[in-house]
Amino acid sequence: MSPNSPVQVAIVGTNRLAGELLRLCQGHGLQASPYSGAEKVTASTSLAIETLAGTEAEKKRNIEKLDQKLSAPAVIVSSCLGFSATHIASWTSRPERVVGFATFYPAEEKKVIELTAGLRTDEPSLAQTENFFQALGKETARVKDMPGLIFPRILSLIINEAARSLDEGVAAAEDIDTALRLGTNYPLGPLRWADQVGLDEVLTVLEGLQRETGDDRYRPTPLLKRMVLAGRLGEFSGEGFYQYNKEP
Amino acid sequence: MAINKSLIGVVGAGTMGAGIAQVAAQAGFETLLYDVKQEFIDKGLGRIRTFIQGSKDRGKISAEEAERVLARLTGTLKLEDLGPARIVIEAAPENLDLKREIYQKLDTASEPETLLASNTSSLSVTAIAAAIKNPGRVLGMHFFNPPPLMALVEVIQGEQTSSQTMDEAVELVRLLKKTPVRTKDTPGFVVNRIARPFYNEALRILEDGQITVDVIDHIMKGAGKFRMGPFELMDLIGIDINFTATESMYRAFFLDPRFRPSPIQQKMFQAGHLGRKTGRGFYKYESK
Repeated sequence: MSPNSPVQVAIVGTNRLAGELLRLCQGHGLQASPYSGAEKVTASTSLAIETLAGTEAEKKRNIEKLDQKLSAPAVIVSSCLGFSATHIASWTSRPERVVGFATFYPAEEKKVIELTAGLRTDEPSLAQTENFFQALGKETARVKDMPGLIFPRILSLIINEAARSLDEGVAAAEDIDTALRLGTNYPLGPLRWADQVGLDEVLTVLEGLQRETGDDRYRPTPLLKRMVLAGRLGEFSGEGFYQYNKEP
Repeated sequence: MAINKSLIGVVGAGTMGAGIAQVAAQAGFETLLYDVKQEFIDKGLGRIRTFIQGSKDRGKISAEEAERVLARLTGTLKLEDLGPARIVIEAAPENLDLKREIYQKLDTASEPETLLASNTSSLSVTAIAAAIKNPGRVLGMHFFNPPPLMALVEVIQGEQTSSQTMDEAVELVRLLKKTPVRTKDTPGFVVNRIARPFYNEALRILEDGQITVDVIDHIMKGAGKFRMGPFELMDLIGIDINFTATESMYRAFFLDPRFRPSPIQQKMFQAGHLGRKTGRGFYKYESK
């Protein structure tokens, strides 16, 4: 892609993040098209954002498909909540064009978006990704390549500890949230925050870190796993640590 | 001697003790502040006077109200003076033997229905309570620093704390115009435990390399909407206090890797780079 040709963005995924990115692109005059899967992404795409947190099999299939469909210079920007960018890039034939990013819902209100380069990512791909997010009005920060990068990683561990405390009966959910808001000035209580972000995404980060490091400090608390399996994913599913009114 | 429902006793005139005494006096309770030396009491009462004076100067309270609050505060060197209090809130140094000695004295000096509350942040309430005949009336009442400004109080139920004691304590915290949160007696209770990864994981990310503290702080504020970044906050709290809290929690959880302290923070502690109060922590500060 020459520096002057317009960026053709493909947003791959059906989750809330994909919807947010599409709105952001439209709001900032970028040409962006949504795709539920990677199969139909057009070859004219210059930058594809793959938003799936998901399981390794699903994500790998998505990335492999993108790698086949896209022209050689196109960049693949993939959510690295659960996998390092290097890991994601290893599923492609051109790892130099794979860039990782990580954010939690709602991305629209984030001032800063974290980006990472895998071991083989080249500078032009990273710079192009920075330009893209800056065109959406975001600041970007380059950080080291690890699952969950920085903010999602730290928040997921706080949520894990809150869920564990709840499961152990140390305190009630409302009390845990009140305590952290008033005792440490957090903008939201950790369990309410988990419901906003989505418990499945939190679990993805914890499992990714545990897999990547082998360190027990990242082991997800069983309550979190059970809630994800039960579909209690948070606000958007109608129930998480709290109940929400489902739309009629 | 009968219980005096409008009297609150505070043990220890340090930062937390004096702050708690101020909260009690401002809420309308007669307040007795005990310490082992008159100079400690004078210093504690002096700190309260300065605070109240500041509130008066900023127009937060009237001159009459300031007078009334200060008139409710009395210092004492005799622990038995606290005997008739509705509750004695202990804010002595975090040393189990010292605290147990105080509770043994209070056990005989106080009315049987006086509540005995410890402001401990790192010791087990259950272990403190074991020193006395009726551990059912002992509980934890964890205020946050500075008590006059922080709304939260963790009300901690030790293994032997009665549910009646808990209910009365929760009501008392409300009378002190604070927000009570009930917790069990586990290391770090709610706040210090759940907030641990905010510091510890940030330190771990710093140990991983290729990043600086200001970038991590910036991300936590810009992506996470936290009001302060973890390194700024550790500098404000004090590296010594933060490191010691992590270490004690790590031990209390029998060396669970979730709470493993950071070698970076340990070295800063050893070097005396304790944050704002020494002019150097993760950041450098002018003056001092």
